Amino acid sequence: MSLEARAISKSYGGFQALDRVSLQVESGGLFGLIGPNGAGKSTLFSILSGFLKADSGHVLLDGRAIDAVPAPARARAGMVRTFQVPRDFQHLTVHENLMAAAPGQVGETLPGLFFRPAKVRQQEAEIAARVGEILAFLRLSEVADQSAGKLSGGQKKLVELGRALMVEPRLILLDEPFAGVNPVLIGQIMERVADLNARGIGFLVIEHDLEALTRLVPRLAVMDRGRIIAQGAPDAVLDDPLVRDAYLGATL
Amino acid sequence: MFYAQLAVNGLVQGLVVGLAALSITLVFGIARFPNAATGDAMTLGAYSGLVVHRDTGSLALGSLASVGAAALVLVLAYVAVFRRLAGRSVVALLVASIGVGFVVRAALGVAFGHSQLVFQLPLARPYVVGGLRITPLDLQLAGIAAVALAVVFAILYLTPIGRQMRAVADDPDLARVSGIRPARVMLAMWALAGAVAGVGGLMLGIKTIVMPDIGWDLLLPAFAAAILGGIGSPVGAVLAGLLLGMTQEISTPFVGFTYKIAISFVVMLIVLLVRPRGLLGRLEGTR
Amino acid sequence: MEAYLAAIAVIALIYVLLSLGLNLQYGLTGLINFGHVGFFAIGAYASAILALRGVPLVACFAAAAALAGIAAWPIGLISLRLRDDYFAIVTLGFSEIVRLVVTSERWLTNGVQGIPGIPRLFASLEGPAAQLATLAVILAVVVLAAWIMRRIGKSPFGRVLEGIRDNEEAVKALGKDPAGFKIQVLIVGSALAGIAGAFYAHYITYIVPEQFIPLVTFYVWMAVIMGGVGRVSGAVVGAGILMLFLEGSRFARDVLPGISEVEMASIRLGLVGVMLILFTLYRPQGLMGDYTRR
Repeated sequence: MSLEARAISKSYGGFQALDRVSLQVESGGLFGLIGPNGAGKSTLFSILSGFLKADSGHVLLDGRAIDAVPAPARARAGMVRTFQVPRDFQHLTVHENLMAAAPGQVGETLPGLFFRPAKVRQQEAEIAARVGEILAFLRLSEVADQSAGKLSGGQKKLVELGRALMVEPRLILLDEPFAGVNPVLIGQIMERVADLNARGIGFLVIEHDLEALTRLVPRLAVMDRGRIIAQGAPDAVLDDPLVRDAYLGATL
Repeated sequence: MFYAQLAVNGLVQGLVVGLAALSITLVFGIARFPNAATGDAMTLGAYSGLVVHRDTGSLALGSLASVGAAALVLVLAYVAVFRRLAGRSVVALLVASIGVGFVVRAALGVAFGHSQLVFQLPLARPYVVGGLRITPLDLQLAGIAAVALAVVFAILYLTPIGRQMRAVADDPDLARVSGIRPARVMLAMWALAGAVAGVGGLMLGIKTIVMPDIGWDLLLPAFAAAILGGIGSPVGAVLAGLLLGMTQEISTPFVGFTYKIAISFVVMLIVLLVRPRGLLGRLEGTR
Repeated sequence: MEAYLAAIAVIALIYVLLSLGLNLQYGLTGLINFGHVGFFAIGAYASAILALRGVPLVACFAAAAALAGIAAWPIGLISLRLRDDYFAIVTLGFSEIVRLVVTSERWLTNGVQGIPGIPRLFASLEGPAAQLATLAVILAVVVLAAWIMRRIGKSPFGRVLEGIRDNEEAVKALGKDPAGFKIQVLIVGSALAGIAGAFYAHYITYIVPEQFIPLVTFYVWMAVIMGGVGRVSGAVVGAGILMLFLEGSRFARDVLPGISEVEMASIRLGLVGVMLILFTLYRPQGLMGDYTRR
């Protein structure tokens, strides 16, 4: 599943959040997006995933413009996003969080849950099995029955990833998967992402942590103040003087 | 001409709604929640004014009582309740404000009962100006409202504390960083919002009757006006209040006496769904 | 004595129905509906008016549920477009408009004078037997409604509702549209309120607009909050506590001299206000714990 942002602009009042931003993630790609705070990365994500409307420009999924497609439909089409601050269903258990994410559940309709109980039970069992696998893959099995709200920040990020995986996406937009996560867990998350990518799932990853991101992705783009100022392989991009300027003072 | 007369009849009603809307929008702009106790603060203002006027014969003293009582009750509500809910969801504050309103209304009900009380004011023949009739009482009330509005806008735009209030309304984080002390601004805001509600309640009580429910019954039109005028815009609130009040009167021949309140509801709904920022408000999400 | 207890039980069960409906909307889905009494009123008036025109009672009750449910549909559509607090205000306005309509349309509802002589359930039976039979019917309906709510709560549908309550954006990000769920929940909860209204009308046999004021909505809110938000058992416990409060205040008036009926009404209002304040300050999740189903 390929994703393209074409000349996307967005402003709030007088403030230009995004200025003709264009980038492309090819099918099965692993693409990074970095930039200082306020550069517009999360805004871009929200527009790509349908949570915000761009003022101008287009979002293309597999070559087709999806600007009019609402957010839930984009997720059903195969592009799923996570959030910078994890949005968990805090009163449900981790297990239930992932169960809730599975698509096509007959039990999610009122007629279904009352008139087709056998089918609902069957689906619940199937979904539970998948949840078990994914939790094991993410090393979350021990906390499966804990309230999602009580987990650490890093664990919550893994739960978000787990929920995204339940949807069987072809492209995942990861919003700062490493922020606030302890270093051991970062390594694990990176392994999982690389693993999934090897299986054909594309990723667009926003990150602050340059070091971690450059270890992970073969291609990245740098944003600053609403514009893309550099794109390419990590080494080339980080040598770019514009990029050094934007990150004045930051360690490269 | 007929409609012009209706509009004039609606003047005081419009001013009352405008004052109530102003109180709501002050609180919404600065404390960022819809204050459902506004109506009951107005009722308290009406009762306070009534009692003092009855005992002293002075409407001026009555007005002071109205302003003072309503301001005091909202400040107390802030100190005892709203301040402790800072940072909680908007709904929590809304529910708490409903509770505060209930408590005020209950106290008034116990103290005064449910009978209809009226201000003992001399009846006077209406003036006729250009074919339109307007009573001296209406003119006096309009005058009171004008003075109150002048004072409020003077405070908001000409005093330091007013500037600080507007700064907090515009951008609370920036305001805090600029050294504006939130507690002082909040106290001032609640006192002002209460005072405004008190004047509105006094006018309402004089124009109609004084009963425990009069303020609550005005809450829907007041919210509608605040939303129509643009939440957070004091000028908008007053203008929208006048507009709604007069429209309600003008529409009476068409929709009947009881349904004119339904107009407020419909207006509010249309504004929220079609143009959430109202007439003069800033771009703020209703979603 | 039995007649008194039976009467209390009937009213309590009516409040349980109201609480079950609101619990579905607020406890499970997080919708702030301040207009619940409006649907209660629609059910009461619809059933009363039809019954007095000779329509069989079962059809009246069905109409009450249907009309209340249908009225909830536009409210549901509105809920999709508005923030919590604006939605709350709009629903409050809605219930006041319902009261307004009922007060004005005298040809239909007899206006402020209300509708007397509403046929009881089991009118053919004698006093105590009729009352017990009515109690049995209401109990059966409540048990059915509670069972339905529990099924919903434990189902995938209920899981999505809780997801919407906890984090609506996340639900959308997973490809599920909260819209349909919210609308259905508002319709079902309001239909329940409509049925409760019909039971109320046929029990007290005389309804007036003054009985359908926002205070009733907040009684139900108190019941839901006190009993424990989100749990079916909570709705039952909460309604029980509410009845204790309402009946207790009546007893208090008998015991304490010098308090008139009207003053007691004001005191009740004040106590509800205090409780709303205390609950938002100290126990937003209610007495029986938080939202979990466990």
